[in-house]
Amino acid sequence: MIPIRALRDCLDGVIPGVVSTCAPDGTPNVAYMSQGQYLDDRHLALSYQFFNRTHQNLLANPRVTLGLIHPQTAQQYRLHLVYERTETQGPVFESMKAKLAGIASHTGMSGVFRLLGSDIYRIEGAEVVPGSTLPAPASAVDPLLALRTCMERLPTSSDAESLLDALLDGLQAHFAIEQALVMMLDPRRDRLYTVASRGYATSGVGSEIPLGDGVIGVAARERVPIRISHVTSEYAYGLAMREGAERQGMGDRLETEIPFPGLASPGSQLAVPIPGAREPLGVLFVESPTEMRFTHADEDALVALATQVGGLFRLFLAELELGDEAQPAAARDPRPGGAPLRVRHYAANDSVFLGDDYLIKGVAGNILWTLLQDHQALGRTQFSNRELRADPRVRLPDQSDNLEARLVLLHRRLAERQACVQLEKTGRGRFRLLVARPLELEDMDPGA
Amino acid sequence: MPALPSLLLDPELTRFVMGGVSINAGSGGAEGLPSLCRAFGCRVDPGTGRITLFFSAPQAADLIRDATASGALAVVFSEPPTHRTVQIKGQDARLVPLAEDDLACVTAYRTAFAQSLVFLGFTEVMVRTLLDCPDEALVALTFTPSAFFNSTPGAQAGTPLIPALTPPPTPGAP
Repeated sequence: MIPIRALRDCLDGVIPGVVSTCAPDGTPNVAYMSQGQYLDDRHLALSYQFFNRTHQNLLANPRVTLGLIHPQTAQQYRLHLVYERTETQGPVFESMKAKLAGIASHTGMSGVFRLLGSDIYRIEGAEVVPGSTLPAPASAVDPLLALRTCMERLPTSSDAESLLDALLDGLQAHFAIEQALVMMLDPRRDRLYTVASRGYATSGVGSEIPLGDGVIGVAARERVPIRISHVTSEYAYGLAMREGAERQGMGDRLETEIPFPGLASPGSQLAVPIPGAREPLGVLFVESPTEMRFTHADEDALVALATQVGGLFRLFLAELELGDEAQPAAARDPRPGGAPLRVRHYAANDSVFLGDDYLIKGVAGNILWTLLQDHQALGRTQFSNRELRADPRVRLPDQSDNLEARLVLLHRRLAERQACVQLEKTGRGRFRLLVARPLELEDMDPGA
Repeated sequence: MPALPSLLLDPELTRFVMGGVSINAGSGGAEGLPSLCRAFGCRVDPGTGRITLFFSAPQAADLIRDATASGALAVVFSEPPTHRTVQIKGQDARLVPLAEDDLACVTAYRTAFAQSLVFLGFTEVMVRTLLDCPDEALVALTFTPSAFFNSTPGAQAGTPLIPALTPPPTPGAP
């Protein structure tokens, strides 16, 4: 049998596989396949792009011999497969569609290669073809050791924000992954928002993409990792979205668009869902200007990390449900002096502007507006995550909402903008509102 | 035994199949089990139009077993930089001894294919390792082309090519 690692390397589309089939009368047919995907030790999927002789043969005789070449060692393999079915939607199909777009663009076949379906095959047998081979090149990073080192630090994080920092710092230090970001899912709006990033000119915290858009959106919607070795314009939406925002002109909408921080010309991308109880909590996304940068081993490691991050996130949320730490005395901070700053809130999208500067919108915008109202009316500065969860003014989508991630987003945005309002953590599930100058709150369309 | 229909490759197609193209051959065995092997070049007999393919005997054991039992052979020639792909089928495959110039033909093929792939970013050592085979392990399989198909990826894939000589219809071929 073929080592699984070698099989997955062979299926990556670097060297096209060769498919041999037979018509019922015994007439053979040989064709190239663009892309394959390892599913489990008994199954793989091959891309179905044209209704050709191979497909006609399969319907009559499901037996296939697939020839593969390892892209580094030149070792040849043959797999004996039996066609089972064709999938035209779902995680396998979407993941292959994204990869095929990359392969098509890389090989000058955009517009020709289009995925009609993912053909699912059962692996009946495998043989190593006798012949000369090269030694496999040693990897600069030992992914298992990197995973272990990175994972060790994650559970020591005291809250969601330090957990995300530990994750992104670990990717940089142990996997040499320079560009990475985490987006969280807002299930009510079917959008993902950036809560943390590394390696970009601007952090992009607060930037959003729709569920289903690009590799990140598809990874979240289909709950499947997507790894692309040759990124195409179709999926490199970082640039496209920036251009799209520019095209829309300088209207009010643009004011609330925080640019997505992605590379303008990525070579490789990998998006891994962070699993939640039902919907994914979000997506861990890494990219590189280099083509073929991320291996199957990287994908495996990031899936393991994302699984751990998802578990720890849910643990933080569960701890908040159990109860708060002892509440400190409700000491009132002295009122700040100086010229007041006008703070506007637009109820239509819960966007908040500090002076003329757009800060944030959505649930995080609503949280800030709620905090500022209580600060203004009651002089409060001490708050807990738990009370926010229960506060009807915050209008969380549901009880399972990832409030922690929204507070991370709000904290980061305020810090990045060096705003006169800041959040400061004071204990588990508790924080303080720091207000450096007097505020004038103005609800722009309170009836909306 | 009736004469098998024969097609002649025109000079341009002959140059194409004997150039630096990827060559894979398939046949079928008992219970419709397909066989498959990569070839190390080919030559085209200008008189008879027969195509002779070179293989490593240990690699091609199943293919040779099936092709010599049934005679059926499908060969795909594909040029990596352009994706131009031609499939040629035959029904009379048989083993023949290597001719005097065949080793030179294999050597020339390795160089041409390596050049074609190095252009795409593969290393020459990688390609030469893939095509490595001791001379004494080389075997030759010859067949008369009975159908040509354009197999270049796209909607037109699978359409018959107009041959230099139009043969009578070939039953059983796609």
